[in-house]
Amino acid sequence: MVTLDVRPQLLEALSALRDRVAAARFPLPLAGAPRARANRDELLAQLDDYLVPRLREPQAPLLAVVGGSTGAGKSTLVNSLVGRRVTEAGVLRPTTRNPVLVCHPEDHHWFSGVRVLPDLPRVWAPQSDPGAGDDLLSPEDDPARVLRLETVETVPRGLALLDAPDIDSLVADNRALAAELICAADIWVMVTTAARYADAVPWHLLRTAKEYDAMLVTVLDRVPHQVVSEVSRQYGALLTKAGLGEVPRFTVPELPESAWGGGLLPATAVAPLRTWLVHQVQDSAARQHAMARTAHGVLDSLKSRMPELAGATAAQYAAALRLTSAVDSAYDTEHARVRARLQGGAVLAGDALKRWRAFPLDCTAAELLDALVESLGALLLCSVTAADERVDDAWRREPAAGAPGLAARDATYENAEHRIGMAVRRWRRELEEYAEDEVGRLDRSVAPDPEVVAALAATGLLGGRRARSAGEGLAERIGAHGALRLRDRAGRLLADYLDRVMHTERERRLAPLDALEVNPEPQAELIAALSVLLKER
Amino acid sequence: MTAVTDQDRTEHTDQTEDTVTTDREMTESSRSPGAGPAGHAPENGNPPEQRGAEVADVASGTNGTSGTSGSGADVEVSGAAGPGALSSQAPSPEGASADDDGGPHGPNGLPGPDGPRATDGSRGPGGPEGRTTRGANAHARVEHGDRHARVEHDDRHAARVKEGDGRAVRTEEGDRHARVKDDGRPVRAEDDGDRERTDTEGIWDDGLIARRVTESTAAELSPVVEPRVSRPLPVTPLAYDGPLRSRLDALRELVGLSRTRLDSRTLAEAGRVLDEAAARRRLSGQHTVVAIAGATGSGKSQLFNALAGVAISETGVRRPTTAAPIACSWSDGAASLIDRLGIPGRLRRRPVQGPDGDPQLRGLVLVDLPDHDSAAVQHREHVDRILGLVDAVIWVVDPEKYADAVLHERYLRPLAGHAEVMFVVLNQVDRLPGEAADQVLDDLRRLLDEDGIALGEHGEPGATVLALSALTGDGIGELREALGQFVTERGAAARRIAADVDAAALRLRPVYATPRRAGLSEEAREEFAARLADAVGATAAGEAAERAWLRNAGRACGTPWLRLWRWYQDRSEPPTGRLPVRAQPDEEATARQRVEQAVRTVADRASAGLPAPWAQSVREAAVRGAQGLPEALDELTARAGLPPGRPPRPGWWPAAVLAQASMTILQVVGGLWLVGQIIGVMSPNLGVPVLLMVAGIIGGPLVEWSCRIAARGPARRYGQEAERRLREAAAGCGRARVLDPVAAELLRYREVREQYARVMGAGVR
Repeated sequence: MVTLDVRPQLLEALSALRDRVAAARFPLPLAGAPRARANRDELLAQLDDYLVPRLREPQAPLLAVVGGSTGAGKSTLVNSLVGRRVTEAGVLRPTTRNPVLVCHPEDHHWFSGVRVLPDLPRVWAPQSDPGAGDDLLSPEDDPARVLRLETVETVPRGLALLDAPDIDSLVADNRALAAELICAADIWVMVTTAARYADAVPWHLLRTAKEYDAMLVTVLDRVPHQVVSEVSRQYGALLTKAGLGEVPRFTVPELPESAWGGGLLPATAVAPLRTWLVHQVQDSAARQHAMARTAHGVLDSLKSRMPELAGATAAQYAAALRLTSAVDSAYDTEHARVRARLQGGAVLAGDALKRWRAFPLDCTAAELLDALVESLGALLLCSVTAADERVDDAWRREPAAGAPGLAARDATYENAEHRIGMAVRRWRRELEEYAEDEVGRLDRSVAPDPEVVAALAATGLLGGRRARSAGEGLAERIGAHGALRLRDRAGRLLADYLDRVMHTERERRLAPLDALEVNPEPQAELIAALSVLLKER
Repeated sequence: MTAVTDQDRTEHTDQTEDTVTTDREMTESSRSPGAGPAGHAPENGNPPEQRGAEVADVASGTNGTSGTSGSGADVEVSGAAGPGALSSQAPSPEGASADDDGGPHGPNGLPGPDGPRATDGSRGPGGPEGRTTRGANAHARVEHGDRHARVEHDDRHAARVKEGDGRAVRTEEGDRHARVKDDGRPVRAEDDGDRERTDTEGIWDDGLIARRVTESTAAELSPVVEPRVSRPLPVTPLAYDGPLRSRLDALRELVGLSRTRLDSRTLAEAGRVLDEAAARRRLSGQHTVVAIAGATGSGKSQLFNALAGVAISETGVRRPTTAAPIACSWSDGAASLIDRLGIPGRLRRRPVQGPDGDPQLRGLVLVDLPDHDSAAVQHREHVDRILGLVDAVIWVVDPEKYADAVLHERYLRPLAGHAEVMFVVLNQVDRLPGEAADQVLDDLRRLLDEDGIALGEHGEPGATVLALSALTGDGIGELREALGQFVTERGAAARRIAADVDAAALRLRPVYATPRRAGLSEEAREEFAARLADAVGATAAGEAAERAWLRNAGRACGTPWLRLWRWYQDRSEPPTGRLPVRAQPDEEATARQRVEQAVRTVADRASAGLPAPWAQSVREAAVRGAQGLPEALDELTARAGLPPGRPPRPGWWPAAVLAQASMTILQVVGGLWLVGQIIGVMSPNLGVPVLLMVAGIIGGPLVEWSCRIAARGPARRYGQEAERRLREAAAGCGRARVLDPVAAELLRYREVREQYARVMGAGVR
């Protein structure tokens, strides 16, 4: 016999774990991300709606959630168990659009607050006005989700029945809500029918119940009386095959009332189920057992679900790392390439080369400098766009790169040109200042024009082998020593600016990815929270 | 001969299959020693193809050894088949209908259903005989299909089946590949070819002999196909109407055009549609294959039985009930259609009234499917496979399950375009009290409407929605009537194919359609040219040329004294930078980065708005073209630059030089005159020599100045000329190497887009 031993440390560990789970994010569209998100939500719902409130207040009434496929007769079953029409039943699918919780009037306070299902606002229809009940049965024009509370004397104290929407509803929201409600249950009442007992969807739910080791009871509803024994045997065989042989099984025959009229089944039809439920509630040992089994089942399921979540966060981080490293390697490659090209004198080509050839005679120093700076800017811009192209290529193969905002960089293209232009112009200005410095140090009577010095220095620096004569000219004008110094300083400055430009562009490229905040920490934190919880159990 | 040998088991054999199974087995066992030469005794007793291969084997052996032409093999085959055919006591009408089964293999060369059939243990008596000649039959195909590859392929098929049942299924998959091959997928074709070769070699030991046999046999057999037409109940193949045919052609063209650009996964669906359309076309147009699909327990089998009027399909409370599809044909000649669905003979039925007892539904082939929503996954696979092959579907829903998400999300929504070949029947209305049935039916209509399925109300085309009860028979008459009309129209198959084409085209939309007009704008071209001109330095070159010209003019027309002074200056100055830069052969005069950037920009412009694969191919075309572009530009600049040497001179130049010279002479004359007066050689006359000198001194700079003014225009023209030459050369080079390939790629895209518009039917922008 398992009992529920609740210590404050356990609750603490549990709420810490809950916070970790709530903090887990899966922003990158990986293959497993939607599933991880759903798992996270489901786990969170189960923690919030069931496990934490149940462990806090073990004396709260047991909640039996009636779930099943559309048209399985869930509402009719609840109505019949209660003995009154508390929830809508009908021929049109899906019938139950808003969940209905039925409990004894004295248990009402347990459910009216936000103890369980905190996300669902409550609507309470007092029993005193039976006429109002009919109005509430058709809340067609109520778009917001509510949990309708019904209090009925015939429900035993300590038991609450919840009529959930269809688990396979055509309305996706209904499905999610149904899953959430079922996760909040102490006792899972799975309703299926003679026509449906082999459907894939309810079986999925049954398997989930088995996985969580929840207190499960199945109801085979709407069985035409001539085939009761055969269908029931078949169903039993299927259950046994699925390892659910010991699950309590109840059969409700198809009666004229069961049908489509929304009528109540005779009490005898649902008596065994009702007796079983009442026994679970009123026998304290059975109650303890039911409660502890589901709670422990959920706690145990954490052992596999938390690592799964942690794995998903790790996958997210790995994907983010892959994206980042693609950017890094692209920019590193381009950085190396642009350095090699600078060394090779690629800047002194085209316009700049023509200017240089014409230099002192048909071209002024300022024009030469302009051309050189422009050419340098073109080289940098080219390598930045080439890097971006490499990144695009690499990212195209990564599913994670589809995250919104990662690809939106078209608007920044002109800006890159602008930023690079700014950087190279600043470099030019500083170079001119250095040239003036060097010229100022000379103690010659006729000082050379600093602009010419700057232009020669730039040509020598950027022109590679081709501009050897520029170096000679510079040495003649400001002396070999000065020329060397100027060249060194300008070279360092150029390398500096180059690094800065590439770094800025890389950071800009990575900024949207960084904004997603995919870190390695959540994985460790999730596992840590789980191990603390397991220790406290 | 083929008339007999080509015959295959058919419906009549199905009816009697139980009684003749043993018969067949006997035949088999008695035959296996006969197959001895090939040395393949049937290991598992049921792959009938085995015999086909073996007999062909025998035939080839005979042929090979006797060295005679195909007729020898022919005789062999017919000899082997003859007794069997006789023992199957096939009267001629049956033989005719049997033909249908063989028919598809003849013209279409798709032995798809062979695989499953081979695995099927229970066969009619005609089976062995028909199959005996399968190998030969396959060869007969050659003449029709006139594709040589198929012969090998079929040989392979027949041969492969020898390896057993498990292999047989795989063979069918192989066939699929082979079918794809016809569409020209190069890689797979090779792949298949390899396998074919190895298989053929493995089995025949000599592919050459085999081929020779097949060719000769085919030549022999081909004429015999003709008489079929004259048989009773000829099966006219399905004919698609003009628009659909042209759409299919367009789709085929589209797939062919875009194969190199799109990955095969994207095109798979379209390829499948084409295959199915082609396959369906070769089969009977008289028949309409209608599948009954629905959830477990909705009463599919009940409805099936109710329509057939006899309990053909097992019904029961056990869920899921039906595990394998069952076919029921209302008239003869549908065997090949059912073959295509892969339904074995033991699961083929006739309605209770007999083949022609129910004229209303004549031409109907009804298929009862397993459920699509039970926990048994293989049922779903069956359903999904067969739903892709049938002409129309009856969806059976019941009041309990009509709003199931599985049905709507997995099947009805994706098939919304097939509304015209869709019936939705609400079964089990007997379980609903009173007007509830109407309510539910209305709700069902609403849900179908939300799924996007057009409802066939008020005479508009669309899905037919009916309420009925298979149990009580309520509404069955209506369905029968609707089905009867539907079948009589004989348009279902074509409509289904049209809907398939629609769906495939819609799915391909993202890779073909663009939100806006794509193309290379004039501005983009100009910008590209401008960037290339920048890369070769056209502007700077032009300016330099202009200045050089101007400088030369100034020097030529300048006063000699000024030139003297300049010369002196130059001598004293260090000769920095003025050293003529020698043009080294390996020099990279073109700015690589600018060329790269220009290509990238123009590719981006051109591919903007194109669907991703096409944008990629445009970019690739641009990059491919850009390889070697800088080198070409280098060379080009060297050639297209101004000719070396002195720039040309304008006509007035000698006059200006003369004027300048005369001014100098004036100065010199005046000076000499003065000097002469001073030293007393000449008579003193201050006025004239001073005047001369002054005129020379003033006139020299004056001439120089006016020359400079006058030289400006020609200098600019000269510079512009230099720039223009470079610019045009660069632009021309860029156009030839980059823009033209890009434009060609865009043109190809446009072509494909037009094809796509044709596929879509009317107007896609």
